[in-house]
Amino acid sequence: MGLRPFEYVEPSSVREAAQFMAEHPEAARIYAGGTSLLLLMKQGIVRPDYLVNIKKIPGLRYIENGGGTIRIGGLTTHHDLEVSPLIRRFLPAITELEPQVANIRVRSTGTIGGNLGFAEPLTDLPPLLIALDARVKVAGPDSERVFPLEELFSGYYETTIEPHELITEVQVDERKPHSGFKYLRFSVGSDKPAVGCAIGVRLDPATGACVEARCVLGCVAPTPLRVREAEDVLRGNPYRAEIAAEAGRIASEACSPLADLRGSAEYKRAMAGVLVGRAVQEAFRRAEGQEPEGGRR
Amino acid sequence: MIRTIRMTVNGAPHEIEAEPWETLLEILRRRLELTGTKLGCDQQVCGACTVLMNGLPVSSCSVLGVDAAESEILTIEGLAAGGELHPIQKAFIEHGAFQCAYCTAGLILAVKALLDQMPAADEEQTRHFLAGNLCRCGCHLEILRAVRSLSGQPPQPEEA
Repeated sequence: MGLRPFEYVEPSSVREAAQFMAEHPEAARIYAGGTSLLLLMKQGIVRPDYLVNIKKIPGLRYIENGGGTIRIGGLTTHHDLEVSPLIRRFLPAITELEPQVANIRVRSTGTIGGNLGFAEPLTDLPPLLIALDARVKVAGPDSERVFPLEELFSGYYETTIEPHELITEVQVDERKPHSGFKYLRFSVGSDKPAVGCAIGVRLDPATGACVEARCVLGCVAPTPLRVREAEDVLRGNPYRAEIAAEAGRIASEACSPLADLRGSAEYKRAMAGVLVGRAVQEAFRRAEGQEPEGGRR
Repeated sequence: MIRTIRMTVNGAPHEIEAEPWETLLEILRRRLELTGTKLGCDQQVCGACTVLMNGLPVSSCSVLGVDAAESEILTIEGLAAGGELHPIQKAFIEHGAFQCAYCTAGLILAVKALLDQMPAADEEQTRHFLAGNLCRCGCHLEILRAVRSLSGQPPQPEEA
């Protein structure tokens, strides 16, 4: 117990926060939800001289639909996503995923911007968001840019954005007709996921054949892992158990899990294949309209 | 650098002088001497330090005091009113929902948040909501019984 002393900074705008970060790129850390950062600070792994609390910046916590794109403010919490009628209506796979994230207290404080920016490999949202073709908006002192979320992650706890850039928004297009998404995770109780997998498919309604596919694994590589070879197997085909199994086999070979308390590398590799197979089946069923997407409540 | 933090704790406004690195838990226990809130794992896993912040359960071990500024905090000390225990507290006693009771303050507050959101929470909703509050004495079944007595849900088949 007990955090090391630090200087506390409470910027009132994104620009002010980014400017401060630009002046102290090594010594300052951004505090958004704090769920992960405070833990590392308690352990002495991260020892910032300045803690920059961006939670007091107004206008960064919202979920809105503009012209077919759902815009999620960087300070939106997991709980906000879990209970949002807008998310339930347009991106039900997120509604279904959120209750599985950690526990109710983490969901009450942890933010989407913090979750993505921390680049923790054992986490749920990034694989599904990548399968949904999400984009992130980041802001620096004088500029803003939007790019695919897939390009955010560069390694264990590492991202491609600069220390002076803040994740201000996540953008996801509304689900297209005849598409289906499924996220599956393997974990023990409310622990972090040991293996995660997000599958998305869009079907030609006339033939039932897959015209677009996404296969993204979580927890089994330094970053969320998009397995394009598995997507190739799905594309062009209607659902068959053989293609689900083949996608699973390819995904299983593509990943590079680390052994830990949650399982050996071999076990996680096998589980990745199993989850992909199951998620492919579910995603097709959903795209075919056989099963509604979204959790209960 | 000491800062002044304004927050409402158990209905009473407070102005607290604290360092920015003090957690909400440290402020509650040391500055306000509200020691009903317990330190457990110190990493948001066990739930012993659960308090309600603007009605939602948070791990007070992992929220900075400065971050709780201008918010409404409810701790276990704020539940009983007029010398009368809160119905959730009574239900915990009636159903023997604790043994050592180290987790109890956090669990009772988690149950409060659950029933405030879902007064008739069913078994799955209850288990899901409370999954992050651990009882090392193993009183989880008694805790679920206590919740059912308040939510009006039927007993579970294996216990009937």
